Amino acid sequence: MSTHRKRSVSSFMLTSLTWVIVILTIFPILWMIFTSLHSNDQILNGITTFSLPKPQWVNYINMWDTVNFAVYFRNSLLICGATTLLAGSFAVLAGYALARFDFPGSKLFSMSIISTQLIPGIMFLFPIYLMFLWIKNTFGLPMINTYWGMILVYTAFYTPISIWIMRSFFVSIPRDLEESATIDGCSKFQAFYKIILPLSLPGIIATGIFIFLTAWDELLFAWVLTTSSDVQTIPVGIRLFVGQYNTRYDLLMAASTVVTVPVMVIFFMTQKYFISGMTAGAVKG
Amino acid sequence: MGLHTEKNLPVKAAPSKSAVWRKRVRDNKFAYMLMVPTIIFMLLVHLLPMIQGFWMSFLKLNQFTLGKYLKAPFVGMDNYIGLLFNSDNPVRQGLNFAIRNTVIYSVIVTIGVMIMGLMMALLMNRDFPGRSIARTAMLLPWVVPSYVVGVLWGFMWQQNGIINYFLVDVLHLFDEKPFWLLGPNTIWAIIIPTIWRGWPFLMVIFLAGLQTIPEDIYEAATIDGAGKLRQFWNMTLPMLKPVIAVQLLFQIINNVYSYNIVSTMFGNGAGYPGEWGDLLMTALTRQSFGYWSFGSGSAASIMLMFAMLMVVGVWYRAFRSELNAQ
Repeated sequence: MSTHRKRSVSSFMLTSLTWVIVILTIFPILWMIFTSLHSNDQILNGITTFSLPKPQWVNYINMWDTVNFAVYFRNSLLICGATTLLAGSFAVLAGYALARFDFPGSKLFSMSIISTQLIPGIMFLFPIYLMFLWIKNTFGLPMINTYWGMILVYTAFYTPISIWIMRSFFVSIPRDLEESATIDGCSKFQAFYKIILPLSLPGIIATGIFIFLTAWDELLFAWVLTTSSDVQTIPVGIRLFVGQYNTRYDLLMAASTVVTVPVMVIFFMTQKYFISGMTAGAVKG
Repeated sequence: MGLHTEKNLPVKAAPSKSAVWRKRVRDNKFAYMLMVPTIIFMLLVHLLPMIQGFWMSFLKLNQFTLGKYLKAPFVGMDNYIGLLFNSDNPVRQGLNFAIRNTVIYSVIVTIGVMIMGLMMALLMNRDFPGRSIARTAMLLPWVVPSYVVGVLWGFMWQQNGIINYFLVDVLHLFDEKPFWLLGPNTIWAIIIPTIWRGWPFLMVIFLAGLQTIPEDIYEAATIDGAGKLRQFWNMTLPMLKPVIAVQLLFQIINNVYSYNIVSTMFGNGAGYPGEWGDLLMTALTRQSFGYWSFGSGSAASIMLMFAMLMVVGVWYRAFRSELNAQ
């Protein structure tokens, strides 16, 4: 009896501790949303009360006009969407090849995929910037300030890590499936296309979300390779709320909420796939 | 994200090595076809710029030679020597601070996210009311874009911000409201948000790792009289070691190359975040683009890459047995 009570007390303590940590963890996000419903004057004076008598929904309307935020939003969606599609399909193909075949050069390829992660992005930044200038000067083909320039760079950057995720996922699917399919008369490609691809949907979705979130987050290259607001992405555009003389914290927080909440919604609709996909390979090391 | 190493297929005793090689290439035609798009992309956007970056590190590149940058004057090791010994080199300015901060930042963040992630995974692995809601809520910070993390925490760290309100007005930890975005406190202003955003992901990974450990070995250990702490130390940790090894490497790389949080917390990288807020990536970008000295910038990033290779070497030696056991 007494050990039972002792155990339930300690269990209660641990549960409370867990919930305290959970609440502390999500507090900054709630604070962002809460702040976005204040006027700028209230924010500058410092908000120290947790009640909100008059929510300033107008911030969510003003943020779109003040800096033309809709354009940045559209650019981000376009660039990240295209990157996800491209890098995702490359990762599926190459990941499958690496998981299933021991072809000459596969070791070298795996090594080079890992080593790309070790190279600081900045080392690519200068050459790519100059290369883009060179292409423009030599062929008259604009690369800086274009969608395809950004998509090209992002696709190349997120492909290697996505190959790793896809590869771990394919390794977790038993080999017998393709073998029995080939016995039934499928070609290698048909076995991949008809049997393995549908089965690896959780992994593909996980990889896709991973690529999208990473691209949505990219700032350094976007900042250097785009100078016109026609192609600039959200992380570049959002700084316009921070002025030299006055910072529109109300609009800044509203915009931050607007760029965070949609990805959160997408993420939580697919998180089941994401978690199974990400952990399929990760836990095996 | 696993570092799987697969066993080689046994190669049968064959007439000649090159014949075997040719046969293996022929047999794997399908695999090569699958790799083609990736290989083309990686040659164009990884290998080519990398070679070019390497070459640029031996050139004198400034605003005058940039136009025909591949024909810029060759200066040999001057960029490297300038970075190491010449204090007038513009890219070098403030690099000492950036290196110190990057080391402090990446060590504390990496250890912080690993410990917090593991602790939270252990807490979440229990059955308790609202567990699935708690798990979902825990993941929220990981989805927040890191530039928003910089903006949001930069706002919360302000002198009359919410953090000082809690620390001073509620908890009375300080007499006066401290400045967090100025002076030595700055390093905490960038470390804490990074940990905050990073550890939910590790929690998910560790949680998945914990669930692969069979329940009965714990029961056996309990019968043998091993306490919880001992079970954790002697069973849970060793079982998680391969997962820890891989995540550790990814964390180190991520944190050394961290850019977004600092750059949005302090005026989008254009400004100087101060002696205690500057990281290698922000410093190198600002100085190289500020002075158009891409040669020195390239040389610095190559040295950084070699430093990282050494870190990976140490990492590999430390975890070799776990990685090969897979």
